[in-house]
Amino acid sequence: MIKSLALQTWKFLKSIQLTIVLLALLMALVVLCTLAQVEMGTAGAVNAYMRSFIVWRQFAALPFPVPVFPGAALVGLLLTINLTGKTLELKRTWAKAGLWLIHAGLVVLFAGEFVAGMMQVDTNMSIEVGQTVNYVQSYKNMELAVIDVTDPTWDEVYSIPDSELTRGGAIPIPGTPLTMNVKKYFANAELSNLPAGQTSMATAGVGPGVLVVEQPTVTADGEMNQASAFVEPTAGGRSYGVWLASAAIGAPQSFTHEGHTYLLTMRLRRLYLPYAFTLKQFRHDVYPGTDIPKNFSSLVQVVNPSQKESREVLIYMNQPLRYEGKTFYQASFGKNDTLSVLSVVENPGWLLPYVSCVLVSIGLLVHFAIVLRRSLKRRQDKKEA
Amino acid sequence: MRALLTGVGLALLALGCQRDQVAHYRVPREAPNAPNNPRPAAPPQPMGDRTGGPSDMPAPPAPSGKAALKWSLPKGWTSAPGDGMRFATFKAPVNGKLEATVVVLPGPAGGELANVNRWRGQIALPPLDEAGLAKARTAMKTKAGPLNVYDFSSEGKTKSRMVAGYISTPDGNTWFLKMTGDADPVAKAKPDFMHILESLHLD
Repeated sequence: MIKSLALQTWKFLKSIQLTIVLLALLMALVVLCTLAQVEMGTAGAVNAYMRSFIVWRQFAALPFPVPVFPGAALVGLLLTINLTGKTLELKRTWAKAGLWLIHAGLVVLFAGEFVAGMMQVDTNMSIEVGQTVNYVQSYKNMELAVIDVTDPTWDEVYSIPDSELTRGGAIPIPGTPLTMNVKKYFANAELSNLPAGQTSMATAGVGPGVLVVEQPTVTADGEMNQASAFVEPTAGGRSYGVWLASAAIGAPQSFTHEGHTYLLTMRLRRLYLPYAFTLKQFRHDVYPGTDIPKNFSSLVQVVNPSQKESREVLIYMNQPLRYEGKTFYQASFGKNDTLSVLSVVENPGWLLPYVSCVLVSIGLLVHFAIVLRRSLKRRQDKKEA
Repeated sequence: MRALLTGVGLALLALGCQRDQVAHYRVPREAPNAPNNPRPAAPPQPMGDRTGGPSDMPAPPAPSGKAALKWSLPKGWTSAPGDGMRFATFKAPVNGKLEATVVVLPGPAGGELANVNRWRGQIALPPLDEAGLAKARTAMKTKAGPLNVYDFSSEGKTKSRMVAGYISTPDGNTWFLKMTGDADPVAKAKPDFMHILESLHLD
C-alpha cells in the first residue's frame, strides 16, 4: 500500500504534466514579482516571490497573512526533483551522454539559484574620495552597535543583530561585563518630540524627550526603516538606565562603566573586513556635448595587511572586482561625484551558473555530434543498400 | 537518491537553524571626517526637527569671531579644533584615560538640569533634582560671564570622574567644557582644567 503510494507520488513528481504546470507557474511568478516591485522594491519582491516557498499576503480583514501562491523556491525545488526524475529515466548509454550532460547542467543551474537564495549576502560599500573604508553594510538589516571607544586608536565593536533585538530580553555581550536588556524593539518607528504630560520608557540619554511611534516596515528601494529600541545596559548588578537607540538619532550616545566608555548606536548592519579600500578617484564620464553617462569608474587602493598586499584596482561598469569571495560592482554615486557606492555580493555558489552553462553547451554539442553521426551513418547505410 | 534527499534535507535544516549572534570586531578608529553611517540606498532624512534631542540636531555652525568663547591653555596642554557639535578637544599632559572637550549647542540645549543629569548618566550616577543640582554646583565668575562647575565621581572598581563647566554666552549659545576619564588622571589634570575655566573670555 505504502509502496504503491510512494511509486504513484514519484510518478507524479517526474511527469511531464507537472513540468508544464511548474513552468507556467514560474512564468506567472515572474510577472507577479515584476509587478510587485513597484510597491515592495526589488529586494522585497524577490524575497517575497522568488526566494520563498509560499507567497503570503496580508489582507486588511484578517489578522494573519494567508498563503496565496506557491513561491518560486517551492516551484524550483519541484522542478529540480522533476528534472532529476526525468534524468534518472534516461538510458545509461553513450548515445544518451549529451542528454545526461544537458539535464545535469540544468540541475546545477537550479542548485546555483538555491545556494544564492539561501546564502547570498548583498551589501554595499560607500566611499568618499580620499576616504578609507574597511566594512560593508547591509541595505536593510540593522544592528545595535555597542562600541568600546576607550582605546584612542582601536574601537571594540560589539554588534547585536536586529534578529536578536526582535527576540528581546537580556543579551549578554561576550568579552565585556555588559548585558543589554532589550525592553522594546521597533523594526520601524517615527520619532518626534515628547508632548508635555507624557513619559518615555527611556531614562537616560536623549530618549526621555522623545516620543516613539511604531510604523509598518518598508521594503521599497530608497526607503529605510528607522529601527529603534529601548535598551537598558547593566553591568556588575548596576543599571545604566534605559536608553533609546534609533537609526533616526544621528549621533551615538555614551555611558562609562569602570573606566570604559561605550557608545550606543543603531545603524545599518556592518560587516568588517580584514582589508580596506581607499577611493583614490571617481570618474563619471559623459558623451561629449551631452549629459548621457558613458562610464562610471572607481579607482581604489586595496590594502590587505594579512596578505602584505597593496595595489590599485579600477572598478567600472561590467568590470567588477572579485576579491576574497566578494564581488564589488560599481553601483551608484553621489555628493557631486565625490562619493562612490559599490554593490558588494558574496555568493558561495557564483560559479554554479557558469558550470551549468558549460555543461549544457557541451551536452548540446555532444548530442548534436551523436545525432549527426547517427544520421550520416543512416544515410551511408541507405546508399549502400 | 534517498541519500541525496537526506543530504538536501539536512543542509536545509542546518541553514534554517543558523542563528545570528552578537559579533565582535576590533577595528582601527575611524577618521573623524568619515561620513557617519552613509546611506546611499535611502533618501536624505530630515532629522533636525523630528526628535529634539541635542545629539540629533545638525551640528550648528561653529561660532567664530566675537561669539566664540576663548581661553588660555596651561603649560603642556594643546587644543585641536573639533568637528560636528564638538568645538575643540584638549590634550592634557597626563597619562591615563582622560578626555577633555568643548561642545557648543544653540540655545539653552535642554536646560542645565537635563544636561547635568545626562553627564551623570554617562558615569552611571542617578539623576539629581533641582535642589541636588544647586548643591552640586560651584559658581564661578569669568570674563565671559558666570560659569557653573560640577565635579562628579562614579562608584565601581575603576572610578570614573567628570569635571564640567557650563556657561551661556550673550549670543544665546550654551557651552560645555567637560573633562571625563579615570578618577586619577582627572584629579591630576583638574587644577589645570580649572585654570582653563577661569580664563574663559570673549573678545
